[in-house]
Amino acid sequence: MTSKNRLRQFFFPSITPKFLLRVVVVALSAYLVFSYVLIPIHIQGLSMEPTYHDGSINFCWTLSALFLKPQRHDVVAVRLAGHGVMLLKRIVALEGEWIEFRYGKLLVDGNTIEEPYVKYPCDWSLSPRQVEQGSVYVVGDNRSMDIEDHHFGQASIKRIVGVPLW
Amino acid sequence: MVKQKHVVIAVLLFILGVLAVLTLFPSEEKKVKKQFEALSRVVSKAPGENAITTARKVYEIAPLFDENCELIIPADSVSAYFSRAEMTSYVIRARAQFSDLSLTFVDLSITFPDRGTAKVVLTVKLKGKVVNGDRMDETREVQSTLKKIKRKWFFSAFEVVEVLKK
Repeated sequence: MTSKNRLRQFFFPSITPKFLLRVVVVALSAYLVFSYVLIPIHIQGLSMEPTYHDGSINFCWTLSALFLKPQRHDVVAVRLAGHGVMLLKRIVALEGEWIEFRYGKLLVDGNTIEEPYVKYPCDWSLSPRQVEQGSVYVVGDNRSMDIEDHHFGQASIKRIVGVPLW
Repeated sequence: MVKQKHVVIAVLLFILGVLAVLTLFPSEEKKVKKQFEALSRVVSKAPGENAITTARKVYEIAPLFDENCELIIPADSVSAYFSRAEMTSYVIRARAQFSDLSLTFVDLSITFPDRGTAKVVLTVKLKGKVVNGDRMDETREVQSTLKKIKRKWFFSAFEVVEVLKK
């Protein structure tokens, strides 16, 4: 086949049963991967600044939620009613631990936890509370907003869908 | 050639028939989804909305709700029944506080525990600009109950689900 014919065949392939089968397989694979394994996400909001920016694009890697136990400092996607809208937050405390905010500092079981990802000044104070069994405590990285305006708290581990790919 | 033409016509007629049935005889699930679309439409407010549009939307709010509608917001310790008139009044007052308001429903999961009841778990996104310039962006999981009365669905309960417990 000449190069001109090859080019023509690439852009205008013959509609053969094999070609149609390839199209179906690729379309089905793409649907399964991007619906259940690598869910495309469009980040909206300022609660994870400056780690994740408002308007940025990422993927939610769901296999991590199946095989890995959530750890402190992991950024996770927490589902609401479904996968259409999820909350992107960071785990700061695990089940059974006591969490507290004291003048902007995070304390877990009475110990101050270093948070290098918190870049903006924070003056939050929150009385100690224990994380329930089967839950993790999640907070955004942007602590410059008023504590009342920031949506954070303990979430069931079952609601964790996955982690951002980067 | 004549046979091929007949087959194509028969297939097209079949497709048109299916579309006609789906349009003229919508399923209960579709009817419930339409109620949420209607609620989204009447609550949402575009910038510079004129008085006629506002009046029309106000008129369309009341028929969406049952005689009594239960509202449960655990985070604010709200659990009460409101009459249709009260619900309409709250929606009108809430709209008046915004110059720009968008209410959208995502990830609707609809079940029918019995023929006259629909239970819907969904994600609610409320975005807007208050008249004083402040921006608002809230996302919550909500469980809603609708009752079927004389072949029409009416909202009878809304419960905000606490996904993140502070």
